[in-house]
Amino acid sequence: MSAMDPTEVFRQEASELFEVLEGALLDLGQRPDDRELVDSAFRALHTIKGSGAMFGFDKVASFTHEFETAFDRVRKGEIKPTQELISVALAAKDYIRTLIEDPQSTDDIIGEAILDDLRRFVSADQPAAPVAAIAEAPPLARAESKQAGWHLYLEFESHILRNGSNPLDLLEDLCKLGPCFVVPVTDGIPFLDEMEPEDCYLKWDVKLHAACDKDAIDDVFMFVQDEMKLTLSPLAQIEAPAPAPLFLLLDEEQVPMAEMAAPVIEIAAAPIAEQPVAKAEPKPEAKPEPKAEAKREERGIATVRVQAERLDELMDRVGELVIAQARLSQLAASGSDLSIKMIAEEIERLASSLRDTTMGARMVPIGSLFGRFRRLVHDLSRDLSKPVEFVTTGEDTELDKTMIECLADPLVHLIRNAIDHGIEDNATRAANGKTEQGRIELAAVHSGAQVLVTVKDNGGGLNTARIRAKAEEQGLIAAGAVLTDHEIHQFLFHPGFSTAQTISALSGRGVGMDVVKRTIENMRGSIDLSTRPGQGTTVTLRLPLTLAIIEGLLIRVGEGRYIIPLSAVEECVELTAEDERSRGRNFLNVRGNLVPFLRLRELLTASGSPDKHQKTIIISTGETRVGLVADQIIGNHQTVIKSLSKLHSDVTIFSGATILGDGTAALILDVAQLVTLAQSKVEKQHISEAA
Amino acid sequence: MSSDVTEPKWSLRLPADCSIAAIRSVYELIREAFGRQDRLEIDCSSVDKADVTSIQLLLSTAKTGEAQGRPVVLTSFSQSLRNTLRRAGIASDAMIDQHFPHKKDGT
Repeated sequence: MSAMDPTEVFRQEASELFEVLEGALLDLGQRPDDRELVDSAFRALHTIKGSGAMFGFDKVASFTHEFETAFDRVRKGEIKPTQELISVALAAKDYIRTLIEDPQSTDDIIGEAILDDLRRFVSADQPAAPVAAIAEAPPLARAESKQAGWHLYLEFESHILRNGSNPLDLLEDLCKLGPCFVVPVTDGIPFLDEMEPEDCYLKWDVKLHAACDKDAIDDVFMFVQDEMKLTLSPLAQIEAPAPAPLFLLLDEEQVPMAEMAAPVIEIAAAPIAEQPVAKAEPKPEAKPEPKAEAKREERGIATVRVQAERLDELMDRVGELVIAQARLSQLAASGSDLSIKMIAEEIERLASSLRDTTMGARMVPIGSLFGRFRRLVHDLSRDLSKPVEFVTTGEDTELDKTMIECLADPLVHLIRNAIDHGIEDNATRAANGKTEQGRIELAAVHSGAQVLVTVKDNGGGLNTARIRAKAEEQGLIAAGAVLTDHEIHQFLFHPGFSTAQTISALSGRGVGMDVVKRTIENMRGSIDLSTRPGQGTTVTLRLPLTLAIIEGLLIRVGEGRYIIPLSAVEECVELTAEDERSRGRNFLNVRGNLVPFLRLRELLTASGSPDKHQKTIIISTGETRVGLVADQIIGNHQTVIKSLSKLHSDVTIFSGATILGDGTAALILDVAQLVTLAQSKVEKQHISEAA
Repeated sequence: MSSDVTEPKWSLRLPADCSIAAIRSVYELIREAFGRQDRLEIDCSSVDKADVTSIQLLLSTAKTGEAQGRPVVLTSFSQSLRNTLRRAGIASDAMIDQHFPHKKDGT
């Protein structure tokens, strides 16, 4: 196994931090007074800056530093984050991302323009103080205060240097508050053999001679407060030496001009003997806050970053194991050796457990995907001048990581459609008595072995009459044909179908919904539309939990064996003589409901004579039910899905193949395609009967 | 990074980059040098990038040498290294002496 490229690690970490940053900025647009959001954005920025510098992304570090500086007035609460400011900050975030992911595709001039915008916005209401003034003003002015200052003990977590944080920068920041006596505590430095060179062992004992309040000190350590112990006690009772001579001392050292902007740091020659406070027990109020402690403990729960391809590899191995186990079980069942049977059962149990664990390790909360759409909604809302509230629920719902990756594009399209076509313009909404702000809800929820993802808007709903007219115009249906609304809405998934009167950058070309449907069906899912005129549209995606291994129902048709995904199976019934007599009509009476069925023997051109008692497996996608008639139902089967080769890409009724216990292959039936096939047969039947 | 074995005693010149990005290789270099000679001299004149990890490594080297009775001599602290020491609170010569008792000339 090869070690992961550190630069790649940084890119991945940065990617996560960008999501945090973007989320915080977007939330800030909604809740400009939320201090925690500002801090969260700054923490993300700070880590990107630190890590960027560490991994050689100097431009990233430099630009992020400028970004931080420009945004600092927001952090200090001097200005409020307006929507314009948030938009520029988001553009700055995008620029940093490009600098990391594709530096060749951008130019410094773009970065400068963004920074100019950022500076212009943050200095719009009052000019920012010159940098030099900020650097110079606080220390001495505060030193004249009656309060003597603070005694700090800084102990960082060992990993802190690895994430780009630099305690020396923090010490410098601290010294901007006033004269500091910094004493490094070297007790924790180990011998060479025991050392991890990237860990942090140094601690610091600092006396700050400034009348600043505790918040000012907390601000310095804001970004690392969860990764350090900061023990703080007032220095009021200590007779500290006057700070002024220390400044003089440093001046005499002829520190180069470049360093004069840096804070003054000096150390006491014999600090421990001089300072009783140094050994004093921290006061109760100086103890780290319980919340921070809790966070540290939480982090103690080990998590390991694993390359996605390794998880894929692991899943493949488990798949092979499941196949081998199936063969073993079959072999054991055919013999009479009890001990072999017991071992086979034990291995079956372990393989099943390993499969579940592996699949669990691949599960990712769908919230990681939902977060991306907030920016999409924000930008579309701005571009289309349609204020939209974006609400997400069920972010904790977990899906296989491959599913999450595949789901991104379809959801982008659905959300674009919802804003562009679904949500009405302001005037229309006002005329219909609706609030000015539209609403888009993106939700995920577990439903049995499936996950339902819904995109719901409170716009005008689908215009069924227009869809029908367009379908007639395109010759998809005969004029006057009797169709339900649901059937008419299905035309939206037809390639090249669009009812938009104008083509925009976003939609109207009729390319999209068919691709969405195909993508979802390729994931063995289904898509469903429901709409209420004037109240909005809901698109529901039904997805399996994983693409790798499924529970299947093994059936036999003639000599061949096939798998039907168990999640799609509603029930199994015997094909009665009455149903048999209905040959030609192909409808099954299931407790008073007529269900169309497909004879798989005919569909798959099976050889040999059919079994006397034919079985019907009722499958469903969304609200549509279809029966599949087979010769025999063999039973449940853990199905490791293998893709079909490119040579079979035009075979639509199979979604893949699997290997059975005896080493033979079985094809997996594509439920969505079979349902569509059955529906088209029903439609043809309708038309021929009408004729 | 280079180690000058032509000198009478074993001398190790630290590379320009002694920051966290390169500290692992510097660490290995020092450990290797420790295994070779009783008396180790470390030339710090080329150090251009230094941070907390560099200081810790030098402190650990000094501590290990002291414990084993094999003094490690640090020579020619570069300006960059001095600045980093100063920022960490090891500012004066007295403090440097306290932590690196066997430094010599040019520091």
